Amino acid sequence: MASMSSSINIATRWNGGVFKALAKRFFANESFFINEFTAANDGELVLTQTFPGDIECFELTGNTMYLQPGAFLACEPGISLGLGWAGIASYVGREGLFRLKVSGTGKVWFGGYGGIFEKEVEADYVVDTGHLIAYDPTIGIKMGLAGGLFSSFFSGEGLVTRVKGPGKIYLQSRSLDGLAAWTNSHL
Amino acid sequence: MTSTLNFELSNRPDFGTLTVQLEQGQQIFAETSAMASMDANVSLKSGLKGGIGQSLMRGIAGDSMIVNTFTAENGEGEVVLAPGPPGDMLHYQLTGNNLMLQRGAFVAHSDHVEISGKWEGAKGFFSGQGLVLLKASGTGDVFFNSYGAIIEVEVNNDYIVDTGYIVAFEDTLTYKVSVLPGLSLRGKIKSLFFGGEGLVCKFQGQGKVWIQTRNVNPFLNWINLFRPTNDSK
Amino acid sequence: MQHEIIARSAASAAQIQLADGETVTCEIGSMIAMSSDINVETTSFERGSKKPGMLKSIKRMFVGESWFLNHFTAIQADQTLLIGPQQLGDIICHPLRTTALIVQGGSWLASTDGIEIDATFQGLGNALFSGEGIFWIKCTGSGDLFLNSFGAIYEVEVDGEYTVDTGHIVAYEETLEFKVGKSNASVIGSLLGGEGLVCKFTGSGKLYCQSHNPQSFGRALGPKLNPR
Repeated sequence: MASMSSSINIATRWNGGVFKALAKRFFANESFFINEFTAANDGELVLTQTFPGDIECFELTGNTMYLQPGAFLACEPGISLGLGWAGIASYVGREGLFRLKVSGTGKVWFGGYGGIFEKEVEADYVVDTGHLIAYDPTIGIKMGLAGGLFSSFFSGEGLVTRVKGPGKIYLQSRSLDGLAAWTNSHL
Repeated sequence: MTSTLNFELSNRPDFGTLTVQLEQGQQIFAETSAMASMDANVSLKSGLKGGIGQSLMRGIAGDSMIVNTFTAENGEGEVVLAPGPPGDMLHYQLTGNNLMLQRGAFVAHSDHVEISGKWEGAKGFFSGQGLVLLKASGTGDVFFNSYGAIIEVEVNNDYIVDTGYIVAFEDTLTYKVSVLPGLSLRGKIKSLFFGGEGLVCKFQGQGKVWIQTRNVNPFLNWINLFRPTNDSK
Repeated sequence: MQHEIIARSAASAAQIQLADGETVTCEIGSMIAMSSDINVETTSFERGSKKPGMLKSIKRMFVGESWFLNHFTAIQADQTLLIGPQQLGDIICHPLRTTALIVQGGSWLASTDGIEIDATFQGLGNALFSGEGIFWIKCTGSGDLFLNSFGAIYEVEVDGEYTVDTGHIVAYEETLEFKVGKSNASVIGSLLGGEGLVCKFTGSGKLYCQSHNPQSFGRALGPKLNPR
């Protein structure tokens, strides 16, 4: 929360039960306390994320979407948040073992580092790990080498995420690891 | 002379990103780690472009020696390139002339372009960051990035730029690096680790210079406090 | 003096046009580029001293090191100066007239000659932020005041009450009253919900906020970097 009208109250609650919430805390890097903002009268609420970048909103109508840890910003009450297993491959790619599953009816706001662009994937597409932030449940995720063995390591790309459509994916135009690597190169 | 590459620059000026649609067999050469995403039929090969000699020269200028070659095989292929820092990205068309790039600004180039770090008259080496340049020459496309937004300036006589903000300039300009005492922080601030020398570059002549609106040194000094300490691990 | 904010909005810069003899005072390290007929002088102030400078009766106090200022004076007509802050973000020019503006120290970029700066000001209780290098300055007088933000700047015309997370305050007019407290009624909620201290402004006046919090950003990126 950056700022808000004073008619808005904040209540902090555990997200979906203590055990589930603990699991989410340790593996998905989401703080397991969710802040619930309720307006007593009409009010304005300004929410922002930690890193600079775009914020997008999609409207779910009973369907599901998967979000990378840290990308979730806010949602309306009709949305339920759950943990999905992203697979060991996802952990190797530094994204963490879990992904956030959002489903139900209502708006979901998520943010990225940099600009967000969406892409309809039909067959196969390759994404540098760290740039993928959200995707349809119909998308298959697999880790792979960026190029041949030599190229994969020297290219700086290492492991990449190979996505298989059909479905929609959301990418961010910068990655936190990319920023850290660039900063480290100067230190 | 127009580019042979089918490209688009998006998210400017804050998170400049390059999307290239390669024709079958067409190639683009990029700095390490620049790939954000690509079609599965684009091959990625890392190597020392231009042979060992060229790469060694480039290595002296501070950029990594390895260049990634992306080739679209069995059909067209898309490559999306995004650098590490938040900032802008621009395209420059070389027409047999030279473009000087500050260290770290190079993103990618097309075929028929050579990048080197050493040439006759290479100068401007000062202690600290100073001005460490790469030269792009040939006929083709060069893409360069910045930390912060890029502003293009047409120099007609004299123009002075703090060296931490120089991204690229045409070689029709002459340049001279010196210390502007009023800007120097050396000896004044104890906690200054990066930058602060007060180095400026005076450009003269006719040509374009591209400057960025942020300097990496203050960022490094500020983020330094948030780094883990060796004993905390 | 003419000015234009360009290259918005995550890495904005201020293009300033100076007439012969005109001076603008900037935070040191903010010069990006300039035409060649400009003189640069530096003044600095030690903690607790009251040395007069090029701006009238400046009082300085800051956390830690000396605060250095560059004074750029054109010695010919039509000189241009391009300045930018250290952090990523936007720049706004606030025309200072009769109401004083309290500015977060790191958000002050530059000001023209008619503006006085008092850095001994104890707004919002300096003790609360002393570990984070944050200090507040009070700007009075008449002229152009350039503010920078981390992220985007948004203006709020407060008329009644408005609450801001303390890391998101850029500047506020002196006519506003404020109270600093926790965001949640419950202490546990406040700590675990991730929300820090908030400042509740009451009254009538202008408030400038920034969309991002530098401390949060630093704490998120820091652990990924090489240790020192």
